[in-house]
Amino acid sequence: MAAVETREKVSQLGEKYKYGFVTDIEMERAPKGLSEDTVRYISAKKAEPEWMLEWRLGAFRRWVEMHEPDWARVHYPEIDYQNAYYYAAPKNTPQKQSLDEVDPKLLETYNKLGIPLSEQMMLAGVAVDAVFDSVSVATTFKEKLNEAGVIFCPISEAIRDYPDLVKKYLGTVVPVTDNFFATLNSAVFSDGTFVYVPKGVRCPMELSTYFRINASETGQFERTLIVADEGAYVSYLEGCTAPKRDENQLHAAVVELIALDGAEIKYSTVQNWYPGDEGGKGGIYNFVTKRGDCRGHGSKISWTQVETGSAITWKYPSCILRGDNSVGEFYSIAIANNYQQADTGTKMIHLGKNTRSRIISKGISAGKAQNTYRGLVSVHPKAASARNYTQCDSLLIGGSCGAHTVPYIESRNPTARIEHEATTSKIADDQLFYCLQRGIGQEEAVALIVNGFCKEVLQQLPMEFAVEAQKLVGISLEGSVG
Amino acid sequence: MTALRAKAAEDFRARGVPHRRVEAWKYSDLKSVIDADQVVSAGAVQWTIEAEGVEMIGAGDGGSAGAMGEASVAFATAGFGLRVAKAGKAKVAFATPGQARVRIVLEPGATLDYIEIAEGDGFQNIGMDVSVGKGAVFTHVRIARKGSGVRIEDVNANVAEDGIYHLHAAHFGGELSRLELKIALNGKNASAHLSGVGVLDAMHADVTTHVIHAKGGTQSTQLFKYVAAGKARAVYQGKITVAEGADGSDSRQTAKALLLDERAEADLKPELEIFADDVKCAHGAAVGDLEADSLFYLRARGIPEDEARGLLIRAFLHEAFDRVRDDLRDALWTAVEEAL
Amino acid sequence: MLEIKNLHAAVDGKEILKGLSLTVNAGEVHAIMGPNGSGKSTLSYVLAGRAGYEITGGSIAYKGEDINALPPEARAAKGVFLAMQYPVEIPGVTTLTFLKTALNAQRRARGEKDLDAMTVLKLVRGKAAELRVSEDMLKRALNVGFSGGEKKRLEILQMSLFEPSLAILDETDSGLDIDALRLVAEGVNALRSPDRAMLVITHYQRLLEYIVPDRIHVLSGGRIIKEGGKELALELEAKGYEQIIKDAA
Repeated sequence: MAAVETREKVSQLGEKYKYGFVTDIEMERAPKGLSEDTVRYISAKKAEPEWMLEWRLGAFRRWVEMHEPDWARVHYPEIDYQNAYYYAAPKNTPQKQSLDEVDPKLLETYNKLGIPLSEQMMLAGVAVDAVFDSVSVATTFKEKLNEAGVIFCPISEAIRDYPDLVKKYLGTVVPVTDNFFATLNSAVFSDGTFVYVPKGVRCPMELSTYFRINASETGQFERTLIVADEGAYVSYLEGCTAPKRDENQLHAAVVELIALDGAEIKYSTVQNWYPGDEGGKGGIYNFVTKRGDCRGHGSKISWTQVETGSAITWKYPSCILRGDNSVGEFYSIAIANNYQQADTGTKMIHLGKNTRSRIISKGISAGKAQNTYRGLVSVHPKAASARNYTQCDSLLIGGSCGAHTVPYIESRNPTARIEHEATTSKIADDQLFYCLQRGIGQEEAVALIVNGFCKEVLQQLPMEFAVEAQKLVGISLEGSVG
Repeated sequence: MTALRAKAAEDFRARGVPHRRVEAWKYSDLKSVIDADQVVSAGAVQWTIEAEGVEMIGAGDGGSAGAMGEASVAFATAGFGLRVAKAGKAKVAFATPGQARVRIVLEPGATLDYIEIAEGDGFQNIGMDVSVGKGAVFTHVRIARKGSGVRIEDVNANVAEDGIYHLHAAHFGGELSRLELKIALNGKNASAHLSGVGVLDAMHADVTTHVIHAKGGTQSTQLFKYVAAGKARAVYQGKITVAEGADGSDSRQTAKALLLDERAEADLKPELEIFADDVKCAHGAAVGDLEADSLFYLRARGIPEDEARGLLIRAFLHEAFDRVRDDLRDALWTAVEEAL
Repeated sequence: MLEIKNLHAAVDGKEILKGLSLTVNAGEVHAIMGPNGSGKSTLSYVLAGRAGYEITGGSIAYKGEDINALPPEARAAKGVFLAMQYPVEIPGVTTLTFLKTALNAQRRARGEKDLDAMTVLKLVRGKAAELRVSEDMLKRALNVGFSGGEKKRLEILQMSLFEPSLAILDETDSGLDIDALRLVAEGVNALRSPDRAMLVITHYQRLLEYIVPDRIHVLSGGRIIKEGGKELALELEAKGYEQIIKDAA
């Protein structure tokens, strides 16, 4: 089963790192635990202005009084917040000189996923200058973006270089006290992206490509802020299909999107986290708060996600449809295999007039996994003529997994129209046999049928990623049938 | 007081009256309209009953679907039970405030038409425990008239192989009114068919169901329709659980609400909890208004607006009664007409 | 090509085929006729290697090889094609994608190189026209919303594409009107070849007017109880299965 092989190779890779670079890594860490000092340490390391430190401290003080939420259908051993490091310098990725030094089985996974060779090297930690001049690649992107006036930089840079923009928008979509993990993130975030697209500008490229080059360096508490000014358009892709192993178990990211009049933000996520061992131990806990504010008239925000692998996923990308005529969309494929637990969904809050939302959720469960869709469609009394359409489909593979749908539909306006449909299905024996009889092997047949099931969502992804996502779907379900 | 009742009382005192932070009562904040003492000291509700083909038995101690059912187990001081061996009919009216326990036992192959009218004001809490034997058919008609108080009915049902539970309900609301139903389909081919309408004029009505497909080859269908006017609140929480190994289960569920007023609210939560793969489950929920096109069509043909609205509303509600036996439908529809 | 000797097969523990023997040579078209429940579909599934259909006795030799242990996809790669009675729908997977995936999977199993999308499209288009399989059908999800006739025509298109050595047609005529039947039969006849063996399974004699068989076998109670030339079909039509079975007993 390839998924198992991948995990083995990834863990072996981890071992190789340990031997060579222990000293370096230790030097760069903040002392264990979380206190006001930790927050100051992080802020100082980032050379942040006073206002940013105050903001963080405010968040930390609130966090100390909050309780972890317990209503999601996920079960996990208690997280000891004091027994973790909250800051580690950008990792010195161990450098290899060529792909020959990389485990061939890991390369096999990359090949199966169709990842281009140059990017395979990045992911495997081959020294960048041995591949190509990465500086020049980065420079070309930067030039193109500068020409268009698009700001795209790490959030720590934005805090220093564009403080007014950051102050204006940070925390306005996900308030500091929104929820336990968001508050924690507000206190200790250290990495993340800031994007600002000026009026009328259509961002000249998928902001995915650039990001992928740094895919192996995701931080634990990422903070992303994307602002599309009037009439602007940007498509952003986060994550990558290659399996990601991380020392950090807890990931609590916050993503805030703001679309002003007539602006559109397309945010896609493809994640393939390390799922833990067969018993589910050691996997990543992925608790993310993502929210988009359709602030402007006629604005639009779409969330597209393909999630697989994390031991526990807890995320509900949401849209606040504030501006009249605004549109929110949510397309999701959530795959849970073995012992994984996914509790994901969305919230569409209709506030303005003539707002529209569309939710297409495809959940696939296999092994002993539990997959839950939890969604909220809320129409406020003033949200005249709001329209929502939700389609939640669950595919169960095997008789030991679970698929759950928990939709909340709350309407307070008589002219709103909300429609919700949910179906449950399995891969039928005769569907599978039909494929086998035509020469398609078992694994390929499952991948084919499941991709067909997910088609509507895959179509929403930027093209290059749609192809990889299809392969990822296949790989995630290897060994699940038969 | 039996051990069961003592335990129920203990649980209730520990948890208190359910409130909106309790997931199952999110849309029906009971604590804001009554307090624990009222529940504990509510007297016995008075009922009238006309029955034939049934044997009267004790109310027993068992079975509840939710928190208020448990409260009735703990604190009800009155009740009755019906056992049916062949074919029975019963008509019951609960017209005063108070609590009671009701027990219904259908022997294998038996049929019972149980028509229940709940009316009056004040706090009324009825807890029912129903046992449908092999191949038996239980037809439960419930008309809950509009009232100004708090009215709750909690039904815990177990359906054996080939057994059928039919529910046909017409709810007219209260300050807070709730029908909570838990039906376990315990044998092959057991089925539950639940349907109902809620016509609410500035009232609250909550139908919370939990159908458990414990064994394979079972079926369930649900169709609930609400019309909410004035400051009404229509709530539907329908949970379907298909247990591991319950292959061949077939479950359909639809809930629709029509809001006629800016102050009205609909909260629908159709929930699926599936642990088996060879199943057919589908659910749908919709909230909307009267189709502008249909309204226009009728008016263009000369029908005045009010009448046109009335026609469309009746058409909307009527579907919920498609499966009701003719003789029973009249009683239900008359109640609906009155409210409209 | 195909040599079945005293085949016993069971489904869910129940024995359906009770000693069936049959030989089909390359270039020949054999028909299997029988009443409902005689084991016709079971035979086709056993030959295709469907899980749940267990061989409890006897043997099947395909091109001289015992294929009992081979999974369905391996048999397909070796040239076995089963045109199904009820072709399955696969939502979200376009017909063309399915054809390309299957064709390349078979090629890979044989050590041949994959064909790219363009090549497959050209190949498919060439064959689609004769069978009146429209471009639209190729773009739609496999069999979703297709009429009975369209589904069967697509089955024959696949047969044409995969170029099998042994083609088994399971009640290809079921659900078809005369015109659709004629079209499908023409397609099948066009695929006759000296290197190919065909097993046409049918309930009614009508199909065999269009696809004329070299030999007809009557199946009843899991065994072949009578054999004959193409005239046997007319005899069956005239007397009915019950009579023929009684006569043979």
